Amino acid sequence: MILLGKIALGVAATAVAGVGLLCSEGMIVVNVVEKQPEHHHIYVPAPAMLLPIAMHLAPKGELAQASQEIRPYLPAIRAAMDQLRDCEDMTLAEVRGREEHVLVAKRGGSIVVDADTEDATVHVSTPIRAVSSAIEQLAAAAPPPESAP
Amino acid sequence: MSPKTKIMLKNLQAVAAVCLLLASIATVAAAGSAEKYLHVKVDDQQNGESVNVNLPLSLAEKVLPTVSKGNLHAGVVTISDADIDGVDIKAILDAVRSAADNEFVTVKDKDSDVRVAKSNGNLVIHVRDTSSGKEKAQKVDVTVPLKVVDALFSTAKKNELNVAAAIRALGEAGETILVSVEDASQHVRIWVDSRSTSE
Repeated sequence: MILLGKIALGVAATAVAGVGLLCSEGMIVVNVVEKQPEHHHIYVPAPAMLLPIAMHLAPKGELAQASQEIRPYLPAIRAAMDQLRDCEDMTLAEVRGREEHVLVAKRGGSIVVDADTEDATVHVSTPIRAVSSAIEQLAAAAPPPESAP
Repeated sequence: MSPKTKIMLKNLQAVAAVCLLLASIATVAAAGSAEKYLHVKVDDQQNGESVNVNLPLSLAEKVLPTVSKGNLHAGVVTISDADIDGVDIKAILDAVRSAADNEFVTVKDKDSDVRVAKSNGNLVIHVRDTSSGKEKAQKVDVTVPLKVVDALFSTAKKNELNVAAAIRALGEAGETILVSVEDASQHVRIWVDSRSTSE
């Protein structure tokens, strides 16, 4: 009985440690609520640590193409991410219309996009660290261009 | 009170005064190094729309030199010679810098009033235009610290604008409203301050 208890405790501790590790990079949250008569609600909370794993599963060809497309902007993206990580929580951009409201903000180490339109309410929150590591993975997906002789 | 005690009190007062002075300098230095934000606010009352953008200047300062697109490379914008049209902007700036505060250009007619002046280390441009026939005149006010203008033209070449240096200078300058454009329905403002919100 005591042995079983110890095993259960070990399993529970491992599970808690695993969840803690998974969530250590923060959570990516996508929340979409449609305003149609057929009311759909999509809520996806995913540990940000899964993002690099998901990148590994993406088709290599398309990843390489995306990598080449993003390459010219990499220095700017890296600099922006570094600065955003250090700056305080703030609203970066906000657009308010008669029927829509879009907000891009930095909140607690994450980039948050909130959109409230006629059709739906959308909330996306992504930890900056996860974006940075995904960008680095994307950059490494294609070989760097050969320098001219 | 004995003479010894008086001397001691005087010394204490001097030390206190020096401490106060150092504390003031430290406060001013800390205030000077605080993060500055560039704000852009557009209010369109007619259409019920508004746009707010808040950008930490440090972010712009770090990102701009990494961008290489079109005429912008390493934080420097290259202007075509045709656009400069033989005008020696640096010589004009030198003349403006060395001149006393004054109104350099004044153009007034029935529908408009344009003024360009130097005031308290700023280049100031005011435009009032009633030619559209609307009740409320269109107002444009631009105030740019001369240090920022200097930084903008700080490269060796005449056809280059050093935007990165200008942003750095903007961060070092005080809080200021750079641009204000107002007409009957819209109001656009661009300003720099130490607050991360545009409220």
